[in-house]
Amino acid sequence: MDEKPPMTFNLLGSAAPVLAPRVGQLSIPGRKVITTPHHVPLTSRGTVPHIAHDVMRDHTAISNLYIGLEDFIERSDSAPVYKTPAAAHESPLKKFTCLPNDMPVILGPRRFPAIVCPPPNTSTSIALSTSIGFRQLPAKQYVEAVKKLRPDITIGMADLVLGKPPGNKRREKMVDRTHAFTRDGLEQLYGNTVAENGKSKTAFFAPVLPLDNAQQSLYLEDLESEFRWDISGLALYEAASLEFIPASLGDLPRLLFSDPATPHDILREISLGADLLTTPVLGASSDAGIALDFKFPAPVAQDCDKQPMPLGADMWSAEHATDVSPLAEGCVCYACQKHHRAYFHHLLAAKEMSAWALLQIHNYHVLDLFFAGVRESIQHGTFEQNVEAFARFYASEMPESSGQGPRLRGYQLPAPGAHQPRRIPKVYGRLEEVIDSSSVVTPDTDASGLEEHGFAQKA
Amino acid sequence: MSTTAEPARKAMPSALTFDRHAKCSTTKARASTLHLPHGSVPLPIFMPVATQASLKGLTYDQLRDTGCMLCLNNTYHLGLKPGQAVLDSVGGAHKLQGWDRNLLTDSGGFQMVSLLKLATVTEEGVRFLSPHDGSPMLLTPEHSISLQNSIGSDIIMQLDDVIATTSPDHARIKEAMERSVRWLDRCIEEHKYPEKQNLFCIIQGGLDLELRKQCCEEMVARDTPGIAIGGLSGGEAKEEFCKVVDTCTGLLPENKPRYVMGVGYPEDIVVAVALGADMFDCVWPTRTARFGDAIVSSGTINLRRKHFAQDFRPVEEGCTCTCCRPVDQGGLGLTRAYMHHITAKETVGAHLLTIHNVHFMLTMMGNIRQAIIEDKYPEYLRKFFSNIYQGDKSKYPDWAIV
Repeated sequence: MDEKPPMTFNLLGSAAPVLAPRVGQLSIPGRKVITTPHHVPLTSRGTVPHIAHDVMRDHTAISNLYIGLEDFIERSDSAPVYKTPAAAHESPLKKFTCLPNDMPVILGPRRFPAIVCPPPNTSTSIALSTSIGFRQLPAKQYVEAVKKLRPDITIGMADLVLGKPPGNKRREKMVDRTHAFTRDGLEQLYGNTVAENGKSKTAFFAPVLPLDNAQQSLYLEDLESEFRWDISGLALYEAASLEFIPASLGDLPRLLFSDPATPHDILREISLGADLLTTPVLGASSDAGIALDFKFPAPVAQDCDKQPMPLGADMWSAEHATDVSPLAEGCVCYACQKHHRAYFHHLLAAKEMSAWALLQIHNYHVLDLFFAGVRESIQHGTFEQNVEAFARFYASEMPESSGQGPRLRGYQLPAPGAHQPRRIPKVYGRLEEVIDSSSVVTPDTDASGLEEHGFAQKA
Repeated sequence: MSTTAEPARKAMPSALTFDRHAKCSTTKARASTLHLPHGSVPLPIFMPVATQASLKGLTYDQLRDTGCMLCLNNTYHLGLKPGQAVLDSVGGAHKLQGWDRNLLTDSGGFQMVSLLKLATVTEEGVRFLSPHDGSPMLLTPEHSISLQNSIGSDIIMQLDDVIATTSPDHARIKEAMERSVRWLDRCIEEHKYPEKQNLFCIIQGGLDLELRKQCCEEMVARDTPGIAIGGLSGGEAKEEFCKVVDTCTGLLPENKPRYVMGVGYPEDIVVAVALGADMFDCVWPTRTARFGDAIVSSGTINLRRKHFAQDFRPVEEGCTCTCCRPVDQGGLGLTRAYMHHITAKETVGAHLLTIHNVHFMLTMMGNIRQAIIEDKYPEYLRKFFSNIYQGDKSKYPDWAIV
């Protein structure tokens, strides 16, 4: 094996490899460079939710994407994504999803956050939730998909237990299976049996299981020795894993599949040495009608007794109804340049899709600046103080939303079951009411309200 | 008729100029330019409908990119949300939605009658029960105009008495027509900003050509800056539709824009243009996009159908919209296969197909205009129907053969 996948990761400065924040640069020839720490935008069926391709190109700085294979393989054998015509230097996955070739794309087996599947994983496959139901994805088929689709980075398959903590026996299985998935996957992608021109150019991020150090020590040792040459990064599923990454793997980029509730959590994970992090809270905020509003480092507090500032504003709240100020003061994002709070409040109240599209643009902008501030702060060596000041300046929780989000589809929701609330409420016996409230736009105020609105008068 | 025109009417200023460029030598089709306070609109034109001050997920720059110069908002919806007080406070609908091109607002009469249960029309206005507390309410022509003044749209519509064209009650149709004329007078009287907002009258009269003639006569005398033909596209036979448009355009002054309300199928538009109409609006192109229907020159294709799953061509070959244009020409190079993958599943699917459909309609209008200017509109019509029916003349609908 002479040729490694062309991805490189360089750490800037001489930060300690473990348990310290670090700044790095992840580059793949012909792709946008990712400076780390950086967030990883999540996709649904190949799109960043609510952000059309031209909006992403023109009004966001999105510089990498995570895609779950399960969004594309409803039918086990004949998924259209595999039939995409593409030149040798192109990724059929990017061609299929109509993404620009220079966008670094990370492919994993499942969406993130993934939905709990009732069928269990097996020793050769994991359970997926597609838009038409559950199915198994054999490990071998997943690696075949990576070879066909040629993403820039792939996340190795891991046997994860979602929704409940695994028992002792299950944990052993997790390690054994993941160990085997990784070993076989690397062999299939880059092994000696693969013809030289057939070796994959995709960088492989090996999974580290959300278990403690001792339980997966054999696997970690192999990552350090036998697999070391072939792996380009690590995929982590909990921040605690950052604490025991062996020093010899310290120069590998670490992608943390994380679900931070607030930017404080993000900072904590960065301080432990995460390089790439998923932030589902971003999309969830947009869906909830919350415009993020925080900066890193936090502005200098004028007054020591001041209440902590909120991390965002709930645009559903009627206080914004006539407010013509931007979502965040001085914000230069497209949404704030073109629109004001009154419009966002109106769009949400009217359940117009543009609300979520514009909020996504704004929230991505806020997060981009936040991460840029983090990188600068680490380089200046002021990260720790800045994190403390941030914690003092901002509220510890996200603001609550008072409205509803967009309609969710089956593949975005947990599977129905005994412990899930009904997805669609029962309607029998009150068809008349249902007809009334369906698509018809009706006033949501009473007669006096209508009169006050100048809509009509009491007769 | 019961309304006798007042001898001394309020002078009717106009906030538009209407330049006629060409007229087809065979049909009544015309090419012109409508200069409005927020820019010039090439006519004939299709106006996409941004009912609630938003075009279904698109940013206003995406709408601009389709070439749109004039889009619709709805008075009924904006009156409910965000309401007149907010509109006044923000400074009108242009400022509310960040759209610096032209807006047209429908008066809300159609929505009142079609959307609200128990709405009845009386001489004073539309009476309805407040859906929240059941108290009786009254919406008058004065309310509608006052709201549209607050909205600040470039073209405002009179409140009219809308009934289905297919109504069998001739007396009611006649009453509605005559009432619409009386309400027009009230609208003109109430209209505060005739120098910056253009009030259009709406010709009513169902499918009765005699009533339509009377209505044209009465309303043309009121000298509004533009004229709409209302009450159509309610399920009437296409022959009847054509006759009404033809009759009305025959009686309307040449020097004013003519707007056929609620018409949006490409076939109907090309025929109505041939009959001398200039402006059209319909929710169909944007609504159908959300169901996965793409409008193409051969009709519509539903991208949710399975056989598009592996079709890696653009939605329409040669289309110059942002979605269909190849990447090397600044477009997105979207394929039918990918649209199939996301349509009706991701909101982005709706956004992208809405862009395509609006662009398709506006490009079609541009081609129609060019054909009229070159005096080749009959050829355009032949080509248009040949595309849809694969050249099989026997399939052409009878009503379309003029």
